[in-house]
Amino acid sequence: MARSVWKGPFVDSYLLKKAEASRVSGRNDVIKTWSRRSTVLPQFVGLTFGVYNGRKFIPILVTENMVGHKLGEFSPTRTFLGHAADKKVVRE
Amino acid sequence: MKKSSDKSLNADQVCVGVVTGPHGLQGAVKIKSFTADPKDVAAYGPVTNKSGEQRFDIHVIRANKKGLVAELSGVNDRNAAEAVQGTELYVSRDKLPELDEDEFYYSDLIGLPVEHINGEEIGVVSLVDNYGAGEVMEVELKDGGTEMYLMSRDVVPEIDLENRRIVVNPPTEVYADKGHADEETEEEE
Repeated sequence: MARSVWKGPFVDSYLLKKAEASRVSGRNDVIKTWSRRSTVLPQFVGLTFGVYNGRKFIPILVTENMVGHKLGEFSPTRTFLGHAADKKVVRE
Repeated sequence: MKKSSDKSLNADQVCVGVVTGPHGLQGAVKIKSFTADPKDVAAYGPVTNKSGEQRFDIHVIRANKKGLVAELSGVNDRNAAEAVQGTELYVSRDKLPELDEDEFYYSDLIGLPVEHINGEEIGVVSLVDNYGAGEVMEVELKDGGTEMYLMSRDVVPEIDLENRRIVVNPPTEVYADKGHADEETEEEE
C-alpha cells in the first residue's frame, strides 16, 4: 500500500539537517548516511550522498529525475560483477 | 564491472563474450555477451579465443533472455559446438570505436594507478560501475580497504591514459549521524 499523501515524503530529520547545512555552505561534501529509507527531495538535487549498502558507502550525485525515489534504490546491496568489454563512462 | 584474474584485459585484447554451450544440432552455439548491447559481440569483426589460435566470424541468429544464439564460422555440427563450449571470445582493443574527450572505456580504466591530487599514490582502480546515479569508480587502496569515487570532473580532475594515471581530489566527508537522530526522534515524541 502506498504511503498516505497527507504525511508527505519521509526523510530522516538528521539527514535533512545535514543536507541543508551542506547546501547552504556550498561545499562539495559527501554526506555519508545509513538512511537508505529517506526519500530524495528536490532540495537534495546537486548534493552528493554516500549511501551505505551494508559494506561500503556508494557515492550518489542527486539529479532531478531521482526525486521521489529512496536513497537506497541507488546503492545496491547485492552487486553483480559483470564484464567491461565496450562499456564506457562519461565524465561529467 | 570488475576485472577478474582469469579474464584480465591486457592492453591489446578485450573479452566480448563467452560460448556457454551448443544450441540444437546444426552447430549453433549459445553466447553470453559482455558488451553494452549484447548483439554488439559481432559488431567488431572476427573474434579469437584467448590464445589467438582460433578465429571465428559470428552471425547472431537471435537474442533471448539467457543470451545470444549464434553461428560461428567453422563450427558446423553439434560436436564442434560442444568442443568450443567455454571459449572466451576476444577482439583487438583497436577495433573498439574512438571515444570523445571525456569518454573512457571501463576496460581502459580498470587497473590504472590512482594518485591523490597532492601527488601521493593511493591505489589502483578495481571496478567501474553505474548503479543508476552516475558512474562510480572503486579504488583498492595501497594500505588495504577500498574507497569509491564519483566519476565527475570535481572528484576525478585528470584521467591520463597515455601515462597510465588517474588523479583524484577526494571530497570532504561528513556523517549524518544515526545517534543524533535517535535523540532527536525521542525529543520530538
